[in-house]
Amino acid sequence: MVFILGVNFNEHKLVQKALETFYALGPQTSVRILAKYSIHPRAKIGTLPPKVITALTAELSTMTIENEARRVVQDNIKRLRDMGTYRGRRHAMGLPVRGQRTRNQIETAKRLNQVERRG
Amino acid sequence: MSVPTTLRCLVRPSVSRHVPRQVAAVVWAAPFSTSSSLAANPPKKKAGTQVASIRSGKKMQLGKFKKKAPGGRTGKAPLPGERKSVRKRIQLSNSNALPVQGLAELTPEYMADKRNAGTVVSLPGTVQDQLRVVEAFKPTQYWGMFRNPSMLVRAETVDLMSRMQQSAEKKQTLKLVVSGDRITGKSMLLLQGMAHGLLNDWIVINIPEAQELTTASTEYAPIPGTNPVQYMQNNYALKLVQAVRKANEKLLTRLTTAYSHPELPQNIPINSTLMQLANSAKEADGAWFVFHALWQELMAKGQGRPPILFTLDGLQHIMKVSDYRSAAFNPIHSHDLALVRLFTDCLAGSYQFPAGGAVLAATSRGNAPRTPSMELALSQREAEQTGAEPPKHDPFSRDYDTRVEASLKNVQVMKVSGVSKLEARAVMEYWAASGLLRKTVDEATVTEKWTVGGHGVLGEMERASLLTMRP
Repeated sequence: MVFILGVNFNEHKLVQKALETFYALGPQTSVRILAKYSIHPRAKIGTLPPKVITALTAELSTMTIENEARRVVQDNIKRLRDMGTYRGRRHAMGLPVRGQRTRNQIETAKRLNQVERRG
Repeated sequence: MSVPTTLRCLVRPSVSRHVPRQVAAVVWAAPFSTSSSLAANPPKKKAGTQVASIRSGKKMQLGKFKKKAPGGRTGKAPLPGERKSVRKRIQLSNSNALPVQGLAELTPEYMADKRNAGTVVSLPGTVQDQLRVVEAFKPTQYWGMFRNPSMLVRAETVDLMSRMQQSAEKKQTLKLVVSGDRITGKSMLLLQGMAHGLLNDWIVINIPEAQELTTASTEYAPIPGTNPVQYMQNNYALKLVQAVRKANEKLLTRLTTAYSHPELPQNIPINSTLMQLANSAKEADGAWFVFHALWQELMAKGQGRPPILFTLDGLQHIMKVSDYRSAAFNPIHSHDLALVRLFTDCLAGSYQFPAGGAVLAATSRGNAPRTPSMELALSQREAEQTGAEPPKHDPFSRDYDTRVEASLKNVQVMKVSGVSKLEARAVMEYWAASGLLRKTVDEATVTEKWTVGGHGVLGEMERASLLTMRP
């Protein structure tokens, strides 16, 4: 078991997959991080030397990921609401924002469009 | 009032009184069938057994948990790496095959002798072990069907071995690319080259699959202090050093170091054996530097170094941009990987081997990326050899790569195609003597298999004759 940024990963997990478990860190970013530390795409967590693990943790701690990234999204929604825009209001009501019909099929909007958005 | 009997005629009879017309069953059997038995319809079940149970068919699922269907996967899942090891397993003998009497055993001079063309020769045990260590055998080859590993000495073999011998005598380096169609025996020719080298006390270094180096499946790291940056592949280098050490043990214990190597973590004083140097690679860390030091030692002039054979299979894979990325996320050219660079430099003639030797590469047709520059360069060299007009660049294509063309400027090209009928006969007689070809080997069978095998393409002939026997 290896800790990256306080998260425990199995040694057999691919490094790229492990990186992509962090919120707001997708494939575009993960391949660049791998290239930066000369980790080949098929490398598993267990094969990384401890030096690289600490470097990865340091790298990730400088990025806006996880709660910081969530806060950015929340701030954006809050800004819209405070300005009193239509999009802000729709977020507050938990309804679709971009003109979709609301007769049915708005489960995703209900789940995601909140002022205190979680995911 | 009773129903008049006349109305009865309107009632439908409960049992049909209609007797079906008896059609005489035509029994017809073809004298033979060209369709395989697997393609035939399954035999019909007897009418009596077709009474279906009242419970058969679909049933409503009432419980929350489904019962597992019987006949599902049982037993343990294979361990990590187990399936790969089965896939890559090399089996070199089959105790069920008959031992072939009167086969010559390979000697140092055998394959370079013109008189031995068209004979089958068996590999001695020590050479088998060495070839296994350098991974010269491929899992796709048919070794596991015969009692002992043996191979056909063909005209190209004799040609290649005599060229190798000449270059060693003149202390020159033979730079040669083996090219040709699928399963014509290109890798086999490399194997024969290695066997020849091992028997003649050459140092043999083999890269069995070039794709392992460039498909971003092994570790890589920039080499500090190189400009432009080169990359080392420590894990692969460790594997390579260990293979070189095991295969060339006898020679390496005899040779001694000429330089000190301060870059190595372990102190290797001058005049210690090359074996000690190779042994210092115990971990992947710094394995590339050990390999590099070993290479420098082998290149040392005036130290009584033996000839060197450096081979690589799957040339296309190192003649393209690799799948690795630099720190700035730019694709890394294969020639920027240090080990690949070493090989291409040898192929381009940048290294002068102290006692001569050979650099052999084989192209691959089954598994190879598109490499227009390599194809062009090889066809140019081939045309130059025959005195024909060399082909030119396609002016409308941007796929060409100058680095690739530079590395293939000075190579010779050996085109491998089908074997002659005489050679085909020799190899078929060997199959028959092993009990794997259950036919009399005469003119007709040889011609048949030779023709079916695309005019003597060895792999196709094997498929045509031995595929039914393959486990």
